[in-house]
Amino acid sequence: MLRVDGLEKRFGGLAAVQDLSFEVEEEEIFAIIGPNGAGKTTTLNMISGLLAPTHGRIELAGRDITALSSAERCHAGLGRAFQVVQPFPEMTVEENVMVGALYGTPGTGQAEARRLTAGALERSGLLPLREVPAEELTLLQEKRLEIARALATGPRVLLLDEVMAGLRPAEARLAVRLVKEVRERGVTVVFIEHVMPVVRDLADRVLVMDYGRPIASGSYREVTADPRVVSAYLGAEDGDDDDGGGAGTGAEA
Amino acid sequence: MRRALPDLLWTLLLAVVVALAPGALKGLFHQASVSYLSLASNAMSLAVLALSWDLLARTGQLSLAHAAFYGAGGYAAAVLAKLSGVPLFLALPLGGAVAALLALGLGSVTLRLRGIYFAIATLAFAEVLKALVQELPTGIAGGAAGLNVPPLFRPHFVPGAMQRWEIAYLRNADYFYVYGGLLLLAILVSVVVQRTRLRAAFTAVRTNEAVAAVMGVRPARAKLLAFVLSSALVGMLGALEAERLGSVIPDGTFAISTTVFALVTPIFGGLYTTLGPILGAGVLSAIEETLKRTFAEGYLIGYGLVLVASVLFMPRGLVGLANRLRRRRGPPPAGGAGTEAGLAGDGEGR
Amino acid sequence: MDLTLLAQGLVSGVLAAGLYALVSVGLALAIGVIGVINFAHGEFFMVGAFLAYQLYVSLGFDPLLSLLFVAPALFVIGALIYLSSIRYVLRAPELNQMLLTFGLSIVLQNLALLIWGGDPRSISGVPYRSVGYQVAGISIGLVPLGSFVISLVLVLALYALLARSKLGRAMRAVAQNRIGASLVGLEVDRIYLVAFALSALLAGIGGVMIAVIQSPTPTVGFAFTLKAFAIVVLAGLGNIRGILWASLAVAVSESLVATLVPNGDALRNAVFFAIIFIVLIARARRTA
Repeated sequence: MLRVDGLEKRFGGLAAVQDLSFEVEEEEIFAIIGPNGAGKTTTLNMISGLLAPTHGRIELAGRDITALSSAERCHAGLGRAFQVVQPFPEMTVEENVMVGALYGTPGTGQAEARRLTAGALERSGLLPLREVPAEELTLLQEKRLEIARALATGPRVLLLDEVMAGLRPAEARLAVRLVKEVRERGVTVVFIEHVMPVVRDLADRVLVMDYGRPIASGSYREVTADPRVVSAYLGAEDGDDDDGGGAGTGAEA
Repeated sequence: MRRALPDLLWTLLLAVVVALAPGALKGLFHQASVSYLSLASNAMSLAVLALSWDLLARTGQLSLAHAAFYGAGGYAAAVLAKLSGVPLFLALPLGGAVAALLALGLGSVTLRLRGIYFAIATLAFAEVLKALVQELPTGIAGGAAGLNVPPLFRPHFVPGAMQRWEIAYLRNADYFYVYGGLLLLAILVSVVVQRTRLRAAFTAVRTNEAVAAVMGVRPARAKLLAFVLSSALVGMLGALEAERLGSVIPDGTFAISTTVFALVTPIFGGLYTTLGPILGAGVLSAIEETLKRTFAEGYLIGYGLVLVASVLFMPRGLVGLANRLRRRRGPPPAGGAGTEAGLAGDGEGR
Repeated sequence: MDLTLLAQGLVSGVLAAGLYALVSVGLALAIGVIGVINFAHGEFFMVGAFLAYQLYVSLGFDPLLSLLFVAPALFVIGALIYLSSIRYVLRAPELNQMLLTFGLSIVLQNLALLIWGGDPRSISGVPYRSVGYQVAGISIGLVPLGSFVISLVLVLALYALLARSKLGRAMRAVAQNRIGASLVGLEVDRIYLVAFALSALLAGIGGVMIAVIQSPTPTVGFAFTLKAFAIVVLAGLGNIRGILWASLAVAVSESLVATLVPNGDALRNAVFFAIIFIVLIARARRTA
């Protein structure tokens, strides 16, 4: 569904991302993890078109999207939720999602957009809040809005950037459930995460990055047992995968 | 466009008022109606200026080049007038077209500029354009002395006894109608932007271009569209004013004061709404006239103080003030503060 | 090409750059440290000019002497304006700041028009006004030279202030992180006040000099405001050091065109802004 080939991003002499290649299968939940500064968000930015790669190729459902603009990638089926939540503060929740509904796929009429919006709002549990101005939402509600907005664009692949950051355990549990439901509706999910229990529960496959390079990939179990991964994390200044206080999502079927 | 119906009805009402006003004024005030019509035309001119600037501001593009497009329209009219046999009315759409083309050019190269960088780039463009027009061969654009522009309406003489003021009245009434028409056009454009999906696109682009793009909005298209619409309107205004004033001259036609008024008025009245710029134009014109009549000299000091006070006490403009008062009086709407997207817009002056 | 003419153009440009830099650096202080888009900045410049003029006409003060009075006067005026209006819009949207400062600019301009009328005024009777030197065929007026020196000294003094002094460090801290700065105990409001008053002072001093160099009218402020903004933007927001270079670039170009191109003087403004435009557009393309 999503394929990245030889992706590289250099800023001057510094390679933020190098030799990155991976494939995500349809309806897979794919996690990208790694210590801070590993290049995860840069990768996501390149995939969603906010940053131009120095080298490499990105394919969505077999189509080369490397040269497309962000808006065009959205039309091709790529959705994105941001790490630092960025709602349109002056608009209500519904209006926020409407933007995605109206413009996510070219040629969407007002009536259909309203339908899509209602659907997205319902799935993310925001329907009762539709008239609330986005600036008045709590953090969890804002995150749901991010996802709802992205969903309204009708994506086939959804990119999520650290949605769990700042959420309390109970909230994180709800967010995980939301992501699983999204996948059940046929959307492929690629997400960046620091909170390990979430990765354990959600990810079908995991890719580990360090210093801009992929260092391991496989199932969660395989990857966490890999000595290279362990040393990458423990060698870093913040061993933030050891969060006893993080979002414990408990065992989910 | 369902929700646009109230707006369209109000606009229709305004059209009726415009059509009937001159006659009514004449009946009520006789000779004084001549100057009232002129004042009203000035206020409507300011309203068009304000509406057009607001349109552009909706995409986050704060332009300091408004006077350039106004001037382009004016000069287009002047140059057109030199060709014989062309009806003067064509000057308006031509002025709009010339300005729109210019905007397309400027808009394209400034797409990546934001905030004050964009503002200064547009300002620079305006200054350069003014100088270029001045340096063009005198045969084409009249150089520093400018060009004369034949008026759109010549005084018509009706055979039989007609007082001189009645002739002036007829002329002013003619202009009043044209200004009214242009204002209605500007309102229509503003309403369309407010009531269609364009509102979502413009607001999204204004708030955060990257996020808007990722949601499928094409920022470049939205920004250029806004630029073209805004400039076409002000270009037409420039052409009309040139034909009313009777001349164009670089220093006057491209004067930066036009830009200043263009941005002061909608901020004062309430940004990103249709009512705001109109209200702002009406109130500011009235204030200016009143001040002018009360204090012959230095009345602008009062005008400046009004502006300062308005920012301190009405940060969201007149419309924002009205919304605030309305919220305090009426019953709290269900489900939170709820934003109003009527003619009064979001009530947010951002 | 006549080399002497070229050299003359260069020299005149460099001398003019001083004043541009002085006025722009004050604006950069307001925008960078306080974060306020001050469209009334040029009016401080104008007030400085007319205060000096009045001191000259009423009390016979030499402009150099007036500096001692105008500088603190503008500092106080700037402080008063900050306290009465600017500090309430610090966190308001930029457009509101623009509106407020436009309003202030209109008030100040018309106050001056009321007091002094619209005719150009200049401090013309000063003996050294017409003194000039000839160096290798290039004429250098004493007054432009003097104003260049004074401006340069002040700008460099400001750089030193920002880089080394406690106040300067505080200003830079506040410019970079307002909340952080207040958390560390800096009295942010007072720093803003000083920065704003300082920016007014710098502009005012520039005004004193323009009163001797040219014959300003009360409307001269706004033109300088626009040019100052252009220079600040050209140097890059937050880049106070770059202002000297930016001022040099535009002043020299202006002067070269005025000197070398027939009818060039009328093109001064166009050249100034054409450079600004080209640089801004080119820079935007590069960061794509």
